Amino acid sequence: MIRLPAAATAVLFLVAGFVLLVLYGPLFVAVFFSFFSFENNAVQWDSFSLDAYWSLIHDESIIDSVLNSLLVGGVAIVLALVLGTTLAFYYNGSRSRFREVLQLVIFLPFLMPPIITGLSLLVFFREVDFPRSLVTVIIGHTVFVLALAYRIILARLQTLRTSLVEASLDLGASRWQTFRYVLAPSLMSAIGSAAILAFALSFDETLITLLVTGTESTLPMRLWAMMRLGFTPDINALVTVILVATTVLSLVAIRFVKLPDQS
Amino acid sequence: MPRGDRMSAATETERAAGEEGLAAYRFILTVLAYAVPFVFILLPLILFLIQSFYYVEDGNIVHQLTLRNYERFFAGRGFVPVFFNTILLCLGVAAITVLFGYPIAYLLASLRGRRKYVMMVVFVVPLMMSYIIKIYAIRAILGGNGFLNRILLYLGVVDEPLTFLIFNLKAVLVTLSIILLPFAVLPIFIALERIPRSVVDASADLGASAFQSFRDIVWPLSVQGTIVGATFVFVLALGDFITPQMVGGMSGFTFGRIIYSQFGFAFNWPFGAALSVILLVVVLVAIVGTGLITRARHQL
Repeated sequence: MIRLPAAATAVLFLVAGFVLLVLYGPLFVAVFFSFFSFENNAVQWDSFSLDAYWSLIHDESIIDSVLNSLLVGGVAIVLALVLGTTLAFYYNGSRSRFREVLQLVIFLPFLMPPIITGLSLLVFFREVDFPRSLVTVIIGHTVFVLALAYRIILARLQTLRTSLVEASLDLGASRWQTFRYVLAPSLMSAIGSAAILAFALSFDETLITLLVTGTESTLPMRLWAMMRLGFTPDINALVTVILVATTVLSLVAIRFVKLPDQS
Repeated sequence: MPRGDRMSAATETERAAGEEGLAAYRFILTVLAYAVPFVFILLPLILFLIQSFYYVEDGNIVHQLTLRNYERFFAGRGFVPVFFNTILLCLGVAAITVLFGYPIAYLLASLRGRRKYVMMVVFVVPLMMSYIIKIYAIRAILGGNGFLNRILLYLGVVDEPLTFLIFNLKAVLVTLSIILLPFAVLPIFIALERIPRSVVDASADLGASAFQSFRDIVWPLSVQGTIVGATFVFVLALGDFITPQMVGGMSGFTFGRIIYSQFGFAFNWPFGAALSVILLVVVLVAIVGTGLITRARHQL
């Protein structure tokens, strides 16, 4: 990059520092008050306790919502990966003009604001008389993360040379064997990246979920319901646990995920 | 019979069988590929569009096509101003995120080695962090009983908690900007990373000052990514209804909230659908416009 004057570099660091403070400051405040209490306009330094975490483990509604989130995320990523792989294979092998239309349709839930995706699914489920439940949430999440899974897998597929497939078929392998022993191993890391990112997206998804869910809550929805009560140690403890989990997940993602843009 | 003939006959049948298998495989793949996206993405959207032409009478949705929802939007007093205010708000969010996001992306792109890695982690991690949690944390800072007010009270700067920090459109603007900033940084960073170092070096070698190099080389090569980042943020801000609800209070009414309320207590799905279609038109204009601008620049 351009060799900048010292003053310009200082300004860049200043902006970055300010933004970091704004991005992380509020989160640290929440983490801090999961351990300490605040009374009489002062932090009670001797009030350190883990009670908030203890009551968290005993709160069944929170445990249920975590399990729901894991279930929805798990099923949605498996569906999105299978579909995404199928679609990537179709797009890669097809000469049809409609494949571009199909690709646009897949990208729609990613391009449109989530409220549109969520509401159109809501109307659809009602028109076909399908009751709202975790199943509808799973469908919503699958549709939402599909574009990402598809894109990452397709990018990898397009870098593979067709000669590999031809060699495998020439040597007498069936199509399934070619997929199983030649293509799948080369696609594995892309599928892994897609799985991590898709799970992270699903775990945090709130807007679509809120619109298509029945009576069950996922974790973000449960949090949202709790938040209306205000700033309490219990919520702070839950926030801390989630922050730690997502930080670990994103560190793993940064370590292993190769986005198509970087290749 | 010569052996050669029998062999070629055998390969013939094998090939025919192979082609048949291939055709069947192609057919199954095609059906699978089209079925899910069309049933679960396109069909719901079409039904949604049609819904916007229905109307509600006595609490029931009447399945009859009419334009009255759109008429109500354009004729009614309340909706058009909120609509334009929301667009302005989201343009503001896009402007703020780009204003802060560009220097950060530039810093990331200019760092090397370990420092770059650490800075990238620090700015990418918030992308994965829970959206609800960020709203919660920001609300805890800005609120009447919030941390900022407590600090100000403690320091004696104010005697009473400031009330203008939250539950208005400015609070929505600030909160959305904080939440969406990483979405602006990423595309700008990718654009800056793609600029070949040699081009920048050549510009400096030829005697350009830092400012000239930036204005004539780096900025024109990164403006596309900047526009993409701004559009990304704009679209995400436009459709949000939870942030305005959490920090906007009664005066922070946005278009997204009005749409959401039509599907909640207002129970007027067709009207909500019509408002969503109007929102979608704005989104389409933004995305197609971005596509045209970036493509035109690409060909230059």
